[in-house]
Amino acid sequence: MANFDQLSAAQIAAGVRAGDFSATEVARASLDAVDSREPQVQAFLEVSSDLALEAAERTDQARARGEELGPLAGVPCAFKDNMHLVGTHTTCASRMLENYESTFTATCVRRMLDAGATPIGKANMDEFAFGSSTESSAFHRTNNPWDTTRVPGGSSGGSAAAVASGEVTVSLGSDTGGSIRQPASLCGVVGMKPTYGAVSRYGVVAFGSSLDQVGPFGRRVEDVALAMNALVSPGRDPLDSTSQDCPVDFLEHLDDPIAGKRVGVVPQLMEVQGLTDEVRDAVNGAARALEGQGAQVVEVELPNIASAISAYYVIAPCEAFSNLARFDGVRYGYQEQGCATLAEQTSLSRAHGFGEEAKRRQMLGAYLLSSGVYDTYYYPAQQVRTLITQDYERAYEKCDVILMPAAPRTAFKFGELSDPTQMYASDMFTISNNIVGNGGVSVPLGLGRDSGLPVSAQLQGPAFRDRMLLQFARAIERAYDASGIVAPDFAGKGGDLA
Amino acid sequence: MRSLQEVLQDWEAVIGLEVHTELTTLETKMFCNCKLSHDDEPNTNVCPVCLGMPGALPVPNKKAIQSIVMAGLATNCQIQKHSMFYRKHYFYPDMAKNFQTTQGPVAFCMYGHLDLEVSGEGASERPDGVETGTDTVAAHDVAAPVTVRKAEDGSYTVPIRILRIHMEEDAAKMVHVGGEEGRIADATESLIDYNRCGTPLIELVTEPDLRTPEEARLFMEKLQQTFRTLGISDCSLESGSMRCDGNVSLRRRGTHELGTKTELKNINSFKSLHDGLEYEIRRQAEVLEEGGIIYQETRHWEPSRKRTVVMRVKETADDYRLFPDPDLAPFDLSDEFIDDCRARIPELPDAKRDRYVASFGLKRADAAQIAGDPVTAGFFEEAADGADGRVVPTIANVMVNLVPAFDALTPAQVRSISTLLAGDAITFAQAREVLEAVNGTQDDPERVVDERGMRQVTDTGALEPIVDEVLGRCQDQVQQYHDGNKKVVGYLVGQCMKASKGKGNPKLFNQLLRQKLEA
Repeated sequence: MANFDQLSAAQIAAGVRAGDFSATEVARASLDAVDSREPQVQAFLEVSSDLALEAAERTDQARARGEELGPLAGVPCAFKDNMHLVGTHTTCASRMLENYESTFTATCVRRMLDAGATPIGKANMDEFAFGSSTESSAFHRTNNPWDTTRVPGGSSGGSAAAVASGEVTVSLGSDTGGSIRQPASLCGVVGMKPTYGAVSRYGVVAFGSSLDQVGPFGRRVEDVALAMNALVSPGRDPLDSTSQDCPVDFLEHLDDPIAGKRVGVVPQLMEVQGLTDEVRDAVNGAARALEGQGAQVVEVELPNIASAISAYYVIAPCEAFSNLARFDGVRYGYQEQGCATLAEQTSLSRAHGFGEEAKRRQMLGAYLLSSGVYDTYYYPAQQVRTLITQDYERAYEKCDVILMPAAPRTAFKFGELSDPTQMYASDMFTISNNIVGNGGVSVPLGLGRDSGLPVSAQLQGPAFRDRMLLQFARAIERAYDASGIVAPDFAGKGGDLA
Repeated sequence: MRSLQEVLQDWEAVIGLEVHTELTTLETKMFCNCKLSHDDEPNTNVCPVCLGMPGALPVPNKKAIQSIVMAGLATNCQIQKHSMFYRKHYFYPDMAKNFQTTQGPVAFCMYGHLDLEVSGEGASERPDGVETGTDTVAAHDVAAPVTVRKAEDGSYTVPIRILRIHMEEDAAKMVHVGGEEGRIADATESLIDYNRCGTPLIELVTEPDLRTPEEARLFMEKLQQTFRTLGISDCSLESGSMRCDGNVSLRRRGTHELGTKTELKNINSFKSLHDGLEYEIRRQAEVLEEGGIIYQETRHWEPSRKRTVVMRVKETADDYRLFPDPDLAPFDLSDEFIDDCRARIPELPDAKRDRYVASFGLKRADAAQIAGDPVTAGFFEEAADGADGRVVPTIANVMVNLVPAFDALTPAQVRSISTLLAGDAITFAQAREVLEAVNGTQDDPERVVDERGMRQVTDTGALEPIVDEVLGRCQDQVQQYHDGNKKVVGYLVGQCMKASKGKGNPKLFNQLLRQKLEA
């Protein structure tokens, strides 16, 4: 029988339902693939074999009792390590939380499990999601499955790499400034950041509360749609007061033609410094491909978008400073021993528990929120937020979705971007969508002409039009015949369904 | 140190209060579903939200918002439809997230006032005819400053403006073991009970309109009465469900520039509030009169030593890095919600007092005392229900003077005893004895009176012979009366009471004695 990495999520669920193979067999196949591929990929911080086999066993028992199985029955899934899952640690890839055991299960994780998914483990990330390469993980790096000398992107680098290497079928990441869409692009998989509020944040360790959004990775648009259904179909989460009802079926209309719809392109964005020729040409090619399917390409303007990255690096550090203030070593987490005073213990626990980038962001936030400085930066940043929101609203009067790159370049080498501001520029195309709260998805366009590494397009849409985004993503996927590709060095390595 | 009244002749004390009230009548905490109870085993009413665990998110308690809007309406505040929560940061383990969720520049309730009626001895603390109020905010409906004129009896009425009432969450309770006076410095261990962490708390801030310790005490008392009547808190200063900090500074009479203020803490009774402020005013006056300087500092009231001591000196303003809480959407209160809150407000103490005076003919002081406490008022109204109209003022009198000494009387018993008293069937002293007998039972006081043969003889025909007998044998006292010592009647009444074995009505004896002596 085939290797499980060749199957879509729907095929796995259907196979389990039909009895072609058991959820336990799929779980074992996934764990076997993890065993064989993980030494080169290092996508996981923790592999939850016991939980996976227990969950699969429950699915198989439910089937034996004749119960209706969930739409993700038996589908192997990885979770970014900022998401709580009882029975696993939640470290946020930080020394601060190295031994932290989840005390409750995040709503997004719970919903994936309720839909039948099998939890394979917790994926590596940049420390507390601060970064675009997963290099700031306190524990180890994660390698890009397409070239293990290169980064997988970040901050959800582990979630992207686990899917790209075929270790799991789907995974969840979180996206504060591009942390799903950029690693999806660098790893050649589909990654979706839904509209802010569509997916509950309850149980996901916060970075920037007004920007964070959980979303899925998959090797197929259809897999991502299936995961989105699991995440939103139970309705708004009463435990997250910023969550909203998102009552749509993402599979419905997924394959509808896009003929007659309008795709916006922003000429100014295609000329920005740092955007490589191969990415620009590939994205222009995607526009032509959509045109080829009957869509109309229109030029739109986003006059204030250049300010998005500045506004983001005010708002995000402020929220990060506040959200990470709770890590003081008093109740849990890294605690400096032998301190004479509480103040010393708090200071040293934080100084030694956090890595460089985590400290840099919190220091920045503490400065930006201090009295006298606040008015100079925080208010203007919020005003910029409003201006960019208005830019998008005007643009969406002329088009249904906007097409642009997901990342300015393909995967870079470890250590290549040593200046933090260079790293921050990795998110130049994704950040504006977090600023305004709209949904975005990155879709693979095959390999770059110069680098030979995965290149993606990003589709952005108006708030709560995420289903339409996936419809466009599916159109691109059809055009590129890019569905279900596992990074070639890893495809088929372990993971055969017995 | 000079006396308070002396000091206040020369100096004007400018006092503002910050009052924290826990919404103890709610079932759950401010941002999670944990049970609201501080009495349980420590750290049992906790969850990821109130423990500040990573990944937990707050969900606001709608009933708490209802309570604060009711509090605002009852104190004449302008309800702000649009407001939001902010995060106030400071690193201390009593706040699990290291920030407190509170409100920013716009609170749910802004610019209210309470009118104080100051009478009796306490009214003498304030010199007559002086201005009050420091106009810091123009948005108030009530003008300031106002000039307070005293009535003939020395009483006066003064509006005290409220700047704001905002919603926030309480911190955990910390106990420091082994250090001096329970402070964290030098403590060998610090224990934290997070049961209190996240308790809904409303903070009321007055304008600096108070001028005497008595006014501060009355303001707190009135606030307590109002919040208790609303049913939003048990408002216990002793247990700390209502906490008050006093800010006080002095300025020379006739000057307008505010002096440096000190903040008074550890106030856990109305008496502490009054005495702490009194001490602080006298202390500041002494320092200033000796050419010294008042430092902006927090001072701890020590009731046992009747003094304040420095807790900490504020050299710089703390930087709390306040910013809007991104986990909580801004509030947009609807007219329906506010109207619903208004409809939930029961009759407030002032209105109740006025009604008691107007419809029952109660003395204003009695009416105010009964109306101030919702439990007392309810008891009174039940006792008055069905009583003869002429008896009701006696019921009020009994409520004020006798009932507080007992813990388990029924309204029917109070009605019965008051009816006996109003009909002169028993004396006040006998009433106390009867209430002692029926307290905690369902017995009718009238039955006890009859059983014990207490009922007084009110038939003048039966009393006259006794009066004649007493006058006959007390010739010395009769002579004294005619010489101008009218007080001697009291002695003669006593003799009559003795002769009647306590059954004669002293009022009637008094009347008969005077009649016969004047005849």
